[in-house]
Amino acid sequence: MNGELKASSDRLGRDEWVAEHTGRTRRDPVAAVGAAIERVPFALRLAVIAVGFAAFPLLTDNSYVLRIVGTVALFAALALGLNLVAGFAGLLDLGYVAFYGIGGYTYAYLSSEFLGIHLPTPLTLIIVIATGVLFGWLLGLPSMRLVGDYLAIATLGFLLVFNQLTASLTRVHLPWTDGPVDMTGGPNGIINLDDLSLFGLTATSIKHYVIIIVVMLLTVMTVVHNVDRSRIGRGWRALRENDLAAETMGMPTKRLKLLAFVFGSSIAGLSGAVFAAWQGAVFPNNFAVPVLITLYSIIVLGGLGSIPGVLVGSFVLVVVPELLRDVALASTLFYGAVVLTLIVAIKPLWRAGAVILAVAALGGLARLAAPEASLPPGEGLGALVSHILILPVENATLVGNVAFVAVLGLMFLSAYLTSPTAKLLVLVPSLWLLALAWQTRLSQDPSVTRLLLIGATLVALMNFRPAGLFGRTRVEVL
Amino acid sequence: MTAILEVDRLSHRFGGLRVVDDLTFEVGEGEIVGLIGPNGAGKTTVLNLITGLYAPDQGDIRFEGESVAGLAPHKVTERGIARTFQTLRLFLNMSVIDNVMSAAYCRTGANLGQIILRTPAFRREEAATRLRAEELLGFFGERITGYRFTEPAYSLSYANRRRLEIARALMCSPRLLLLDEPAAGMNPSETSEVTELIGRLRDEGGYTILFIEHDMGVVADIADRVIALDHGRMIAQGSYEEVVADPSVIEAYLGRGTGITR
Amino acid sequence: MDAFLAQLPQQLVNGLSLGGVYALIALGYSMVYGVLKLLNFAHGDVYMVGAFIGFFVMTGFLDGAGPIIPAVLVVLLMFLAAMVGCGILGVGVERIAYRRLRKAPRIAALISALGVSFFIQNAVQLTLSANFRSYQPQLLIPPELGLSLLDVRISATRGLAIVMAVVLMFALHRLVQRTKLGKSMRAVATDPEAAAMMGIDVDRVIVATFFIGSALAGAAGVITGLVFIRVWHFMGFLAGLKGFVAAVIGGIGNIPGAMLGGFILGLVETFAIGFVSATFRDVIAFAVLILILLIRPQGLLGAKLPDKA
Repeated sequence: MNGELKASSDRLGRDEWVAEHTGRTRRDPVAAVGAAIERVPFALRLAVIAVGFAAFPLLTDNSYVLRIVGTVALFAALALGLNLVAGFAGLLDLGYVAFYGIGGYTYAYLSSEFLGIHLPTPLTLIIVIATGVLFGWLLGLPSMRLVGDYLAIATLGFLLVFNQLTASLTRVHLPWTDGPVDMTGGPNGIINLDDLSLFGLTATSIKHYVIIIVVMLLTVMTVVHNVDRSRIGRGWRALRENDLAAETMGMPTKRLKLLAFVFGSSIAGLSGAVFAAWQGAVFPNNFAVPVLITLYSIIVLGGLGSIPGVLVGSFVLVVVPELLRDVALASTLFYGAVVLTLIVAIKPLWRAGAVILAVAALGGLARLAAPEASLPPGEGLGALVSHILILPVENATLVGNVAFVAVLGLMFLSAYLTSPTAKLLVLVPSLWLLALAWQTRLSQDPSVTRLLLIGATLVALMNFRPAGLFGRTRVEVL
Repeated sequence: MTAILEVDRLSHRFGGLRVVDDLTFEVGEGEIVGLIGPNGAGKTTVLNLITGLYAPDQGDIRFEGESVAGLAPHKVTERGIARTFQTLRLFLNMSVIDNVMSAAYCRTGANLGQIILRTPAFRREEAATRLRAEELLGFFGERITGYRFTEPAYSLSYANRRRLEIARALMCSPRLLLLDEPAAGMNPSETSEVTELIGRLRDEGGYTILFIEHDMGVVADIADRVIALDHGRMIAQGSYEEVVADPSVIEAYLGRGTGITR
Repeated sequence: MDAFLAQLPQQLVNGLSLGGVYALIALGYSMVYGVLKLLNFAHGDVYMVGAFIGFFVMTGFLDGAGPIIPAVLVVLLMFLAAMVGCGILGVGVERIAYRRLRKAPRIAALISALGVSFFIQNAVQLTLSANFRSYQPQLLIPPELGLSLLDVRISATRGLAIVMAVVLMFALHRLVQRTKLGKSMRAVATDPEAAAMMGIDVDRVIVATFFIGSALAGAAGVITGLVFIRVWHFMGFLAGLKGFVAAVIGGIGNIPGAMLGGFILGLVETFAIGFVSATFRDVIAFAVLILILLIRPQGLLGAKLPDKA
């Protein structure tokens, strides 16, 4: 008795709520990993990241791998800036990618034959950052009067306008010129940009760019980390939590919001310039809505406001779509993910097993019913699955489309079922149809499927784990 | 006693409704003043006007002799007025210590450059802020100290949230503290503790306090002076005994001709 | 100047038909926002699906030369199918993507909405390809049919579009003001918890709101097809955004406001195309939004609520 009392004495006077809360978070392995990462000193974390990234340019010449590594780092840097605006300060900036684009186009103007200007890189980068600040300020100033969702719409409008103007301002009549002037290169973009050239060294290979991007990422991480743990960072979080209380506690909320906005836009601008130099060109498509969705997916997956989460999110969102390009690998990943979801979502385990067996049995039945259907080609898990499916010889696309729509229909239906048994009964044909749709349609169109999966993942993640992987569970006003 | 706060013929309306009507009063330095009145009398609106959440339609508010009427709320706080809210407004998803440290914003000055480079000056200021925050939280005994520093504010009980909100207001280094129903929703022992705390804040901290309270026990125990409002007007002021005996106050609370007599 | 005056009436008619589409989309946006305080980014994509449903119903009843059943019936069926189909889609979206998130942080619901929008767009691209499809209204409504007043021509299609939009809006207004369901909707919009305590089935009201809002979007999709011919998988994104802009201009959550905002936006855009340049139409539309928000942050007909401390 006494021993028990003693053991719990450190919890004496502790609110029940706290105890429950800590208990809950401890049980979650992913959050535990996140918390463990947070405990590692920041400098050490930076060093690990630096070594991790530096290994690639040192060890490999494979330009495909290097391109992916560079993209992961670039998107991580970009997402850090967005995380600062949306995660820390809570401003839903949907125009963020426009600033990325403004950075890219500014670099293009100052470092190509398009205007015939070739400024030295350091000067260009300074101008790029200044432009980011200026545009962020110009958009931010009116927007700060808008609350929450109005800000989202105004900024998204800004992005769309930016996209349209870059794509269409090819024949502009300016008062001081005779003929129409091409201001943006239109859909063909601006090409043949100069390489970055710093400290007398010019970046010529992909390796150089990977190194530059990683250095940029580490710098951005340090800056964001330091600002987060300062009066300004606390001010941002305070105004995210309760705008009015923050203002009353002496924080100039309008100025702080504007600062967050401008901070984000200058990080985006810098990333855009580096991206432009790396690609050697800028096109309107580089700065469109899919990039915005990817960035939001990154910060949401990692957990809003979490810095390590951004790296993980960026890795997942850049690497997984690359893996989806290869049909065999994509199939393995897809079926693996489906099976894993079943195992996690359906308890007890034997039920999940029963569902999988039932799907296989359904496939067998279907094959008996139509013995003449073809055995489709397939590799990896895909091949295994093909063996239990019948696949149409003709009109595979049509059948795939119908199967896909049917899956969606069954999903809708199942959302309205309350009995778990009924849900499982609907699940079996849904899975079979899903496999059919994947084999005949989804795996054949990886670029669309990729986006489709991003959309579905966002919805699923928000519904089942709104705090992301490493984010803290947040509480709205109780 | 010099007046630290002067409210001068203050009026404010919502649409056609006069919520504060030609209100004039003073709070002397080092005084504890209780603001009472029935629901809807305009008490909270007076605090909102003083702290700059609303700009007054007419009249003036002077703090230490200078007008603060119509200033942005953060400017008012910078001048030296801090407040708590009747419906708590904590930064729920921030840790206890961050809640308090955030309110040091207007008393610290590190700029972006210093913060990014983590200069010694910035680190000194940061350490001092942290120390001060821990000190202020220590003011409430052990309830919100120790391991609780890093707990999120939402994990605190209701009474502790009220305490945290007071600590946060103190972090603004105010000279005038406005408390909006500090004892609301508390049990009797917590209420008497709040009463004692308000006294200590004045005696040990040297803060001037203007508070709104419905619990007449608290008002009787601690207020040097009581101001009674009804329909945005001051109907009585003076000591607690004087004010509660005032016929117009009784009328405001009980209504006229209800047949209830004392 | 003369050219301007000569064009003005015709542009007015064009602007009203575009405005009708925006107003119908805005209504759905505004209703959902009013009840859930959620920016339903998927609303524009529901509208796009409505346009496609109308398209397939139309092609199903056409045999190359003309309709196989009376044209009036075809048009009616198109609207009916699109409205019911979109209504069901909207309700399903609510059930799958939003219901669980009612008490979650706002940003979670918003990102879920963004995800749904992305999903629907790409699902349509996957199954129907990224090609434009063209409505064939000339086979249903003879192009020469219409009204001519002085120099202004109102083709029957455009006339139908404007009338249809106005009728639907009027019906909605009656519904919200006069019926029990409408009353429940207003109650839930004001305070969901209090409404629940007064015995209103909040879930049912929200489902009804989604159904009605999405059905209106479906009708808007069919009108778009009939008047502007081309439909494709990406049409919903910008249109949805414009619908929201219209809702905000009028005062979000306010039904007459959404209608007013829709017509204003339609007129502004049509004038921008007619008198400035098609390139700047969206720029001008968003400039108007920002301008109006700066002058009247609560929108033209929105009520200003005092902020509470």
